[in-house]
Amino acid sequence: MATGTGSRRGRAKIMAPRKHGPEFSAEKTWSELARNIREIQDQNASNLSFEENHRFAYNMVLNKHGEMLYSGLKRLVAEDLETLATRNIVPHFPSGTKDPSVQSGEDDLLLASLKAVWTRHINNMVRLGQILKYMDRVYTQTAKVPATNDLGLQLFLKHIIRPPIKDHVLAAILNQIRHERNGYVIDRSTMKGCVDVYLSLEGDMHSTTIYKLDLEPAILKESESFYKREGEELLNSSTAPIFLQSVEQRLKAEEDRVHHYLSSHTKPHLLQILQDNLLSPHLGAVISKENSGLDAMLDNNKTDDLSRLYRLCVMVPQGLPYLKSALKESIVRRGKEINGGSTEDDFIDVEGDLESTDKKGKGKGKTRGPAPGIQPAITWVESVLGLKDKFDAVWEASFQKDREVESAINGAFASFINMNEKCSEFISLFIDDHLKRGLKGKNETEVDEILDKTITVFRFIAEKDVFERYYKGHLAKRLLHGRSVSDDAERGMLAKLKVECGIQFTQKMEGMFTDMRISSDTTRAYLDHVSKTTAPEIELGVIVMTSNAWPMNHSPSSCILPSVMSKATKSFEQFYFSRHSGRRLTWQYSLGNADVIVQFKARSHELNVSTFGLVVLLLFESLGDGDFLSYQDIKDATEIEEVELKRQLQSLACAKWKVLQKHPSGRDINSDDTFSFNDGFSCPMKKVKIGLISSKVENRAERKETRDRIDEERKHQMEACIVRVMKNRKHMTHNDLITEVTVQLTSKYHPEPLAIKKRIEQLIEREYLERCEDRKSYNYLA
Amino acid sequence: MADSDVDMVPTRQVGAGSGNDNQPVPKDSDWVRLQSTDGFCYIVPRKVANMSGTIRNMLDTTGGYAEAQSRTCEIRERGVILEKLVEYMSFKAHHESIGTKEEVPVKEMLDRIPPEIVLELLLAADYQEGV
Repeated sequence: MATGTGSRRGRAKIMAPRKHGPEFSAEKTWSELARNIREIQDQNASNLSFEENHRFAYNMVLNKHGEMLYSGLKRLVAEDLETLATRNIVPHFPSGTKDPSVQSGEDDLLLASLKAVWTRHINNMVRLGQILKYMDRVYTQTAKVPATNDLGLQLFLKHIIRPPIKDHVLAAILNQIRHERNGYVIDRSTMKGCVDVYLSLEGDMHSTTIYKLDLEPAILKESESFYKREGEELLNSSTAPIFLQSVEQRLKAEEDRVHHYLSSHTKPHLLQILQDNLLSPHLGAVISKENSGLDAMLDNNKTDDLSRLYRLCVMVPQGLPYLKSALKESIVRRGKEINGGSTEDDFIDVEGDLESTDKKGKGKGKTRGPAPGIQPAITWVESVLGLKDKFDAVWEASFQKDREVESAINGAFASFINMNEKCSEFISLFIDDHLKRGLKGKNETEVDEILDKTITVFRFIAEKDVFERYYKGHLAKRLLHGRSVSDDAERGMLAKLKVECGIQFTQKMEGMFTDMRISSDTTRAYLDHVSKTTAPEIELGVIVMTSNAWPMNHSPSSCILPSVMSKATKSFEQFYFSRHSGRRLTWQYSLGNADVIVQFKARSHELNVSTFGLVVLLLFESLGDGDFLSYQDIKDATEIEEVELKRQLQSLACAKWKVLQKHPSGRDINSDDTFSFNDGFSCPMKKVKIGLISSKVENRAERKETRDRIDEERKHQMEACIVRVMKNRKHMTHNDLITEVTVQLTSKYHPEPLAIKKRIEQLIEREYLERCEDRKSYNYLA
Repeated sequence: MADSDVDMVPTRQVGAGSGNDNQPVPKDSDWVRLQSTDGFCYIVPRKVANMSGTIRNMLDTTGGYAEAQSRTCEIRERGVILEKLVEYMSFKAHHESIGTKEEVPVKEMLDRIPPEIVLELLLAADYQEGV
C-alpha cells in the first residue's frame, strides 16, 4: 500500500492528510492510557476499545513521546507484578511443616500460584503488546530497548523470580521431585507449568534460560545426593535382582520425569547421575552379591535378571568389564569343580579292579554303558559340554550375543580346561567312546552334534599336540580292533579336526586310514594267493602299518610263536615280500587278536582272544586232563614280557570267563602260580570275547611316559622350527626369534621361552647357528 | 455501500483455513464489520480483515478487547479511505491465497487509487499496518 505514493497524476488534486489537532496532550493521553492499562491488568480488557488505546499509543509515539510511554508502561507492569507477588504468591510460602504430604500440598499451592501469576502476566503482556504494537515497531527499535513482550519477561524475572520467592519456588520444585521419587503422586502439570516459566526466562546476556542457570544445577545436585543415598540403601537392603530392577525402574522413572516436566536437555545429565551414583559404584558389589548375584542368577537360570544385568552393564563404561570378570570367575569356579570331580586320583588306585570288572562287563558285548575305566573322562567332557551349553544359552538369551562377553566366556573355558592336565586325553577318550559305542544309541545327526560340540571344547585346548597324540592312539586302537562303528563318523571327525588345525595335524591319521584300506586289499590278495597254493592252517588277516603314521611302539614284542602260527606269518611274509621288495615287516603281536574254537566238556565255544592269549592257550592244547603249567613254564615257553603275560593270564584265568584255572585262585597273578585248562567252562553263548584291552584313563606312570614322549617330540619340533625360521632369515635377534617361533608353534602348544632358549643353545652346539658378536642375535650356518 | 460488498464476492470464494489463523476458535470465514467515521460499513470475511496487523490484533480473541467481542471495528477513516483499504486487503488476501504462480497485478491495483486520497491513504496504511 505504501507504494501508492508512486502513482502521480499531474492534474488530480491531492488532499492534505488529516492534521493532528493542537488539542493533543501527551500527559492527558498517557493518563487515559495508563488508566486503561490498569484495567487491562485487572482483566477487564473486554470493556475497552482496542482502537482507542492503540490510537493513544500511536499518537504518543507519533508525537515523540515514546519514551514517556515506554517508561510509564515499565512502571505500571512492575507495579502490577509487585502487587501480584504480595497478593498471590507470598501467602503461599511454605509454613515449614515437617509432614511430607502437607509439605507437598503447600509446595503444590506455591507452584500453582506462581504458574497462575505467570499465565496472567503473559496474557497481559500479549494484550499490551497488541495495543502498543506501534510503539514496538517504531520506538523500541530505535531506542534500543526491549520490545513489550521481552520487557514483560525481564520485569517478571526482576520482580517475581527474586529472593525470597525464587528460593521458595526452587525448594518447592526440588521437594516435589523428591516427593515423587519417594513414590507419591504430585501434580505434574503444575510442575510442568513452573518449569516452563524457568525455561521461558533468560538469565544472562547469552540467552541462557534461568532453567539452565538455576534450576537444572539444583535438580542435578539434589538428584546426585538422593541417588547416592538410594544406591547405598538399596545395596544393603535388597538382593541383586531387586537392586537391578529398582535401578531400571529408576532410570525409566527419570526418563519419564524429564519427558513430562523437565527440559529434554536435562535427560543426559540426569541419566549420567543415575549411572554414576546408583549403578557404577555398586555394580561390582551387586554382581558378586552372595546368594543373589551373578552366580545365583546363573544357577537358577534367571534369564530376565541376567538380561537386565547385561542391559545395565553396557550402560556404564566399567559395567562390561565387571560382568566379564565375574563371568570368568564363575565359569572358572564351576570348571574347577568339574575338574575336581574327575581328577581325583582314587580311581587310579582301583584301576586293577576296574579292569577286571570291565572285562566281565564286556563279556556279552551288549553292555551299553561306557567302560568304567573311562567314566571320569566321559563325565568330565559331558559336564564341560553341559556348562558350555548353559553359558551359550545365557549368552544368547541374556547377553544379546555380545562379542566381548563371548570372548570372556571362551577365555574362561580355555583357562579352566587347560587347568586339567588330562583335558586332551579326556576329550580324545570321549570322542573314542562315542565313535565306538555312542553311535548305536543315537542317530547320525545327534552324534554329529555331539562331536561338533566336542570340537568347541577341543578349541580351548592349548596343547593340541598332546591331544593329537592321544587321539592317534585311540584311533589306532579303534582301527586295529575294528571297534569303530562308522567309517563315515570317523572321517567326519577327522575332517572337523582338519578344519580346526590344518592338514598337518591330520596327515598321519589319514595315513592310518590309508593303511587300513591297503591292508584289507592286501589281505584279500593274500587269501586269494594261499587258496591257490598251500594254505596254512590258520586263516590270517594282516594290517600293514606304515611305521611313522601309527603311534605304536616300534620295537618288536618278543614272543615265541607256536609252529602253526609262525608258519602262517612266514607264509604272509613270503607273499608280501614278493610284491614289495625292500620292505621290512615287524610283527606287532600285542595288537592282534584271534578267533579260536575250543572244545570244552559241555560244548565247543568260539573264543575271541588276543594274539598273546592264543599263544598261551595253545600251550594247553597238548596237555592231558588235570595237567598243570606253572607260571614259569608259560613264561619260558612264550617269552612274553612279564607285565604283558600277567595281563594275559589275568584275563584268561581271573576275569569273568575263566578259560584257565589258576591255582591257587585269586585275583592277582604271582610268579609261583600254576594253571590248568578249565574243562568245565560253560557259557550260554557260543561266541565269547575275552579280555579286550579297552581304552581307559592312563595312570600316573603312563601319563608321565606320554608326557615325556610329548616333551621329546616338542624338542624336535622347536628345533625344526628354529632352523626353519633361521634358514629363511639368516640373521635374527634373540627376541625376534623367540617371538617368531612362539607364533609358529602356538597352533599346537604354547612353548616356554626358556625351552626355546635351550633348543637354541643346543643348535649352537651342533653348529646350526652361531652367536653374533653383540651377544643378542644369531646367524644361520648353512 | 452494498456495492463494494459485491466487489468482495470473489474473495468470498477463497477457502477458509488457508490463511494464517492464529486463533483456532474464530474461523477465517467469519464475517466481521468494519465501520468508518462517516457511517459506512463493510462486512468482510475475517481472513480479509486479518490482512491488517492492527485490525487483526483488534479482533484477536485472546486479547479480548471490546472489538473482538462485538466483531465490529471502528476504523477512524473516511468511508472512501476505508473502502480502498478493504479493496486492497481483499486484493492481498486473494493473491496470497492462490500462491505466486501468476504474476500479481500490482500495477492495476495501483492504477485504481485516486491520487487525491493518496496521502491520507498512506497514513491510514501506516496506522493499519497493512504492508
